[in-house]
Amino acid sequence: MGRAMNRPMKDARRWGLFNTSAFRMSMGYTLLVTLAVCVTLGSTFYLTQRIIQGDVDLIIDTEIKSLQNQYVRSGVPGLTEEINLRIDSWGRIGAVYMLAGPKFDRLAGNVTNWPFDGAPAEPYPEFRIESIEPGQRSVHPVRAAVRKLPNGDWLLVGTDMSQDRRYVRTFQIATLWGIGLSILAAAIAGFSFTFRLARRVGDVTDTCVRIMSGEQGHRLPVIGKSDEFDALATSVNRVLDRLEEQTRTLRATFDSVAHDLRAPLHRLRTRMDAVLRLPALESGIREPVESALREVDRLQRTLATLLQIALAESGAPLASPAPVDIGELADELTELFEPVARESGLTLTGHADRGVVVEGNRQLLAQLITNLLENALKYVPAGGRIEVTVKRLAGRAHLIITDNGPGMPAEERQRAGQPFARIGQRSGLEGSGLGLSLVSAIARLHRARLTLESNDPGLRAVVSLPLSDAQVSSESLSRSISA
Amino acid sequence: MHILLIEDDTEAARVLVKGLRESGYTVDHAADGRDGLSRALAGKLDLIVTDRMLPHIDGLAIIQQLRRARLATPVLVLSALGTVDDRIRGLKAGGDDYLTKPFAFAELLARIEALLRRGPGATESTVLRVADLEFDLLARRVTRSGREIELTAREQKLLEFLMRREGQVVTRTMLLEGVWDLHFDPQSNLVDVHISRLRQAIDRGAERLLIHTVRGSGYVLREEDEE
Repeated sequence: MGRAMNRPMKDARRWGLFNTSAFRMSMGYTLLVTLAVCVTLGSTFYLTQRIIQGDVDLIIDTEIKSLQNQYVRSGVPGLTEEINLRIDSWGRIGAVYMLAGPKFDRLAGNVTNWPFDGAPAEPYPEFRIESIEPGQRSVHPVRAAVRKLPNGDWLLVGTDMSQDRRYVRTFQIATLWGIGLSILAAAIAGFSFTFRLARRVGDVTDTCVRIMSGEQGHRLPVIGKSDEFDALATSVNRVLDRLEEQTRTLRATFDSVAHDLRAPLHRLRTRMDAVLRLPALESGIREPVESALREVDRLQRTLATLLQIALAESGAPLASPAPVDIGELADELTELFEPVARESGLTLTGHADRGVVVEGNRQLLAQLITNLLENALKYVPAGGRIEVTVKRLAGRAHLIITDNGPGMPAEERQRAGQPFARIGQRSGLEGSGLGLSLVSAIARLHRARLTLESNDPGLRAVVSLPLSDAQVSSESLSRSISA
Repeated sequence: MHILLIEDDTEAARVLVKGLRESGYTVDHAADGRDGLSRALAGKLDLIVTDRMLPHIDGLAIIQQLRRARLATPVLVLSALGTVDDRIRGLKAGGDDYLTKPFAFAELLARIEALLRRGPGATESTVLRVADLEFDLLARRVTRSGREIELTAREQKLLEFLMRREGQVVTRTMLLEGVWDLHFDPQSNLVDVHISRLRQAIDRGAERLLIHTVRGSGYVLREEDEE
């Protein structure tokens, strides 16, 4: 049984990984890291670029001002001389000069043609120069400033930006790599964090499910890292120890209560039996003793039912469960009860599918069906119908018992499923209420759902049981074959 | 027939011993597990009736020791626990029958009788016969004075159970256990209704009735009326 329960659990864990709080947390963390890295590196990049450009612009401004001064001092010939001097002396690396006439024809400088269409509008226009250096042809981006001289000539001063652009480009690539790697690292860390967290939480869940299904000896693993999980596991284990201890005490109490109540009942019954066996017993004595004996039997039955309910509700596991063909069992019981129903003027019919197998205890399941049938027999008036149906529905076994009797008020229907619920209106009849409590206790013991619905008119009791392992796997096999 | 009763409740034991002696059995009583085990191992017993919970040695442990000593004496287990698991454990340990306290003396008597008669010589014959009633087990055919009687499979099983215990009192719980494999007490008079239907089929129009009701106990299938 543990195996079957494990399988869907693990699937759920695998697919549910994206649905854990750990995953959401690490996703948020990854996003935050990404954002922080982007902002930091992005602004660094932006500022660096700005500073580099500012330096270039400052140099251009300074030089254009000094050339303008030269023009004021010595006119066009002086300026031409100064420009040629500056080009030849390699004063500034990557410097570009041009003096052009009013029609943008070249008068001096190291640029052959006026690079713009007329006078540029921007304060620092950019253009490209193609230069043929030994062996290769290269294109240089140039940033420049243009001034109109008082005589109508144009003065252009610029700087070759190749170096700076290369530097910025490198910086840009480094920034992108930085961002990418940080995201990757954060994502990997987040996933492994999620996975490890999910696995350890999953272990806790698995163990709890196993314990709930009756394997009470299980405990949470303590890894020995003395982290918060070990602390959690240790305290949960302590709670489980307490629970197991309490269940043991409870069982021992049941056993001794059962023994202590049954022993005097037994003595009482044995003595009354002995009285009835006396020869020449007056009928005036025989009758009250016999009726008292029936009362003792009734008491004993109630006691047995109470103990059975208490045992089921205590969460004690179902001992030695075995495959039970619930359809066959329902048919047998329908057949057993049919003559009794007929005597009361009722029609009892069964429509049970065969091969609907559940894991459980045959006796308890028979008791469950019996109690539901006897409940119907008790309340449905002559001429009524009772139907027993067993079918496989949505991967579960469904046992449905319907009647067209007076039914039950909605409020009582809900209460009937609770342990030790007594059904108010019906308590005039012997054993009522407790019978349904036992039904619900047995259902719980079999991990089944019991629902009481209105049959309009009448009562419709539905017990939905999990199919046995073999049944489930054969079903999925046949489904995969047909698919 | 020699019966050993192992029961620590001396008051209940006294009444039971008296009742069994009146029914014609020789009865020994042991009041605890240790005494019970030594008497059980001493042998020369036809049946052991033991309580489940006993001082010193548990009833189930006694059965296990007995079986280990290769003694096949039939054992009837009495228990005040009476849960389904408990019954299974009792039978697994090697008990032959199981009765939950409190029980009717008639029930105990019927079960003792059934265990004592069960002896080694279980009939292997394929035809059961009581008076003019015949049950061919292979052909699953029932006839009364040669006239065939139509019965459902379950009715046949019920009849077979009664015929195999011809002359023995069979209680309602024994029938529920043996024919329907139900080990709890339904509240309805199920068995009575089924017996009366069987009786209709078997005894209707017949000169001599075969199925008799035993007041306060159950039913018996036998050839002639006792009273």
